Amino acid sequence: MKPRLIAVIAIIAVLAAGSAYAASTDPNTFVFVTFGEVDSLDPAYCYDTASGEIIHQLYDNLIAYKGSSLDELIPMLATEVPSVENGLASADGTVFRFPIRKGVKFHSGHVLTPEDVEYSFERAMLVDPDGGPVWMFFEPLLGVFSLRDVVEMAGGDPNFEDASALSPEVVQKVYDLVDATVEVEGDSVVFKLANPYPPFLQILAKGGSWSSIVSKEWMTANGDWDGQPTSWPKWHNPAKEDMTLYSKANGTGPFKLNVWDTATGQVIFDRFDDYWQGAAKLERVVVKYVDEPSTRLLMIKTGDADAALIQAMYLDQVRGVEGIVVEERLPVIANTALIFNYSIPIEGNEDIVGSGQLDGKGIPSDFFNDLHVRRAFCMAFDYDTYINEVALGAGSKPVGPAPSSLPYVDATKPWYDFDLKAAAEEFKQAFDGELWEKGFQLTLLYNTGNDARKTAAEILEFGIEQINPKFKVDVRGMEWATYLDRLRSSALPVFFLGWHMDFPDVHNFYMPYLHSTGDFSGYCGDNMVAMAEQYFDDLIEAGIKTTDPEERAVIYSLLQKRAKDLAASMYYIDSQDQRVYRDWVKGFFYNPAYSANYDFYSVWKEVK
Amino acid sequence: MLNYIIRRLLFLPIVLLAVTFCIFLTTAFLSPYQMLSAYVDSPDELRRYRGNLDVLVEKYGLDEPFHVRYWSWLKKVVRGDLGYSESANMLVAEALSKRLPGTLELALFAVIPVVVGGVLLGQISAMHHNKPVDHGVRIFAIVGWSLPDFVFGLIFLMYFYGVLRWFPPGRLSVWADQIVFSSSFVRYTGLNTIDAILNGEWAVLWDALRHMVGPVITLAYLWWAFILRITRSSMLDVLNKDYVRTARAKGLPEGKVISRHVTRNAMIPVATVAGMMVIGLLGGVVIVETVFDFKGIGLLMAQGAQQLDYTLVLGTTLFFGMLLVVGNLVVDVLYAVIDPRVRLE
Repeated sequence: MKPRLIAVIAIIAVLAAGSAYAASTDPNTFVFVTFGEVDSLDPAYCYDTASGEIIHQLYDNLIAYKGSSLDELIPMLATEVPSVENGLASADGTVFRFPIRKGVKFHSGHVLTPEDVEYSFERAMLVDPDGGPVWMFFEPLLGVFSLRDVVEMAGGDPNFEDASALSPEVVQKVYDLVDATVEVEGDSVVFKLANPYPPFLQILAKGGSWSSIVSKEWMTANGDWDGQPTSWPKWHNPAKEDMTLYSKANGTGPFKLNVWDTATGQVIFDRFDDYWQGAAKLERVVVKYVDEPSTRLLMIKTGDADAALIQAMYLDQVRGVEGIVVEERLPVIANTALIFNYSIPIEGNEDIVGSGQLDGKGIPSDFFNDLHVRRAFCMAFDYDTYINEVALGAGSKPVGPAPSSLPYVDATKPWYDFDLKAAAEEFKQAFDGELWEKGFQLTLLYNTGNDARKTAAEILEFGIEQINPKFKVDVRGMEWATYLDRLRSSALPVFFLGWHMDFPDVHNFYMPYLHSTGDFSGYCGDNMVAMAEQYFDDLIEAGIKTTDPEERAVIYSLLQKRAKDLAASMYYIDSQDQRVYRDWVKGFFYNPAYSANYDFYSVWKEVK
Repeated sequence: MLNYIIRRLLFLPIVLLAVTFCIFLTTAFLSPYQMLSAYVDSPDELRRYRGNLDVLVEKYGLDEPFHVRYWSWLKKVVRGDLGYSESANMLVAEALSKRLPGTLELALFAVIPVVVGGVLLGQISAMHHNKPVDHGVRIFAIVGWSLPDFVFGLIFLMYFYGVLRWFPPGRLSVWADQIVFSSSFVRYTGLNTIDAILNGEWAVLWDALRHMVGPVITLAYLWWAFILRITRSSMLDVLNKDYVRTARAKGLPEGKVISRHVTRNAMIPVATVAGMMVIGLLGGVVIVETVFDFKGIGLLMAQGAQQLDYTLVLGTTLFFGMLLVVGNLVVDVLYAVIDPRVRLE
């Protein structure tokens, strides 16, 4: 027995000794543990924070925010920020000229040219993936919302199924329309807007992954659009896995992609030594995806992770721990909502909507098209418990679709309160009383790993099930990439999702939430689209077209009232953010415009 | 012996076919829409036709009778196409091939401590039958059997990783991952330990072993009671046999009696159980993989089940079913090697 015991102890001791290799002691490698894997690395496709986190480190934009500021912009790949004063912006706000920096290298070794900048924006517009971020180019540059609208402008059928089937004339005309918006003039690139668009420069700024600059030559060599006027239909709205930049990257950013490994759940990127601003201090960054919160907590506590995504509900476990810095209550312009699909596709969703009928064993396709149901849901959620017990006070109760910290949002007009009696009254009126008699059964979805949303779903479940024993609610997680895929194809019946601002303007919330072509409302079924067209579209479009503050205030006040009256979605928290990292991490700064948790170029480690 | 093996091998395709049929039968109650991802040629089809799935239902014949759908699915399976997993965001076959090395490695390293530890405890228990040592060992093992694996795993992780920093979660440390992902490191098997040896990266080998200590000890403690019980009862049975009494009467030392006459004969049922346990481990150990962030098939299957990803569950069940059938054959053959009576039968 004794020799065996000694052998076992010896093996354990030798293995334990290996802990000397812990990564945290390596001052050149940064480990960030988070949850929710990357959806795509293509800047034209990516419209989620998990993917944006990585793209932020690999690419550069024309301009950037200065440090934590949301107001002050500085040059990046452009050498100047256009303004009326420096003569690079027209007085009417419709022309912006960007002189392009010389001598900037891509990771592939190609040198940046103005043609690369033109190509990056035109490619994005011609690719225009469903549910992607490119509406932010169409709206200011062409006054429309998608390439389909441009096809219509060119005399084609906007409801085309296959862009390759469009006539050659339409194809050419579409290209011409897009091409005219971004032109190379000497060493500069000129953007020509359809109308004045106050937040246009912010759309181009670093933090917006969609405005990343790619290399035309490298893209063409790797099989992407070749820049020719007639060949773009082949690359329009492709499957995300078929896109050139789905799992590859070639930017001018401070880091170059090493590997995105789905088997071990991590993305690794290495320092780009030829970076035009000088090489980053960190040699390597590892972003690891660990769904289990207790494991993430242990990794930051032991120092195996330099930073970890810890949700507010777990912050008690890291506050006051020696060697850990907790930055709390960071102001973020973002909110989270339960979003209703007004025309749920039953086929393929039986596991979520049950029978698909109003029979107590499921919900019908138009369940959320009933105003009383939506209002009842909004009243059945215990906002205060969520904000105080789950978010631990890191956030506030919303007043509507846009966070109250933004201009033109009336913080004095309250949103719905938690009131189960009032919710019951609304439910009794839904479907002419039939819903109250028969009951319903449905599943609320959240993205796996997001325990705060899971708890929000459970709070709502508890509220609804108290109202009537015939009301049954389940809660289920879904992987982030799948969640987004289903969202983009309008197939999520009811789901939790947050919106982080693309640019600091109230329009950036009303547009995705309530415009008929918005990223949420546009994917919540035909009934929602019809409601948006009737009540919201005109106002939202008028709101961004005017620069008169008084006029904007009136418009957004009316929009806020209508959003509440119609209970368009259940907005339940205006978020605040937090960061948890080791005290050897230096150089961190917070900018609410960044979807990335960290700008790793500015960060370094001082390990004792 | 050869006839026995040939007979079993000839029977294998029929069993496999029956397994596929039984597994497919479980999908009979699902709607055609829920089964689409098992049939589509490309995941993009699912996205493009999400609002009009009837087009795909018709294209892939999911409105056809059960036997037609089964045949169409079987043809895809034979080609290695298990469909597309929406929860894993990749083909099921690809997901399985990415996760199998982790599970395989864990199973390989878990089996020795599980079996040796369990047998050892069983021996001690049987040799001290109804004495305090017997009671103590059994209580120790039963506590392990009764303790939920996630509780033991988390306690282990909190102390041995959170406090002592000895045995971290995951499969490799960050620095080791960097070596494994480097162009100079050749991935021969996907098993970190084996690949580290073949590449001569001894530091990576130690790191991989260090990461397996937690899951292996958790698994071992959970399974010891099971092996102990079988070993103990089997040994108690053998200890009362005439040939053991004869061996003792001949004056053989007790140690030799136990090792040569008792343990060897008592191992026959243990071998069978251990063989099935290895197959079970290969199917993935959900909780242990989750707690230790050990990305294997168990974790994959659990995610699929939680998210009602029928295609993934169908694919992993099929994989596990195949493994069970083939593994069962191997165990039976080994059993025949150990016990000549089986061959005679």
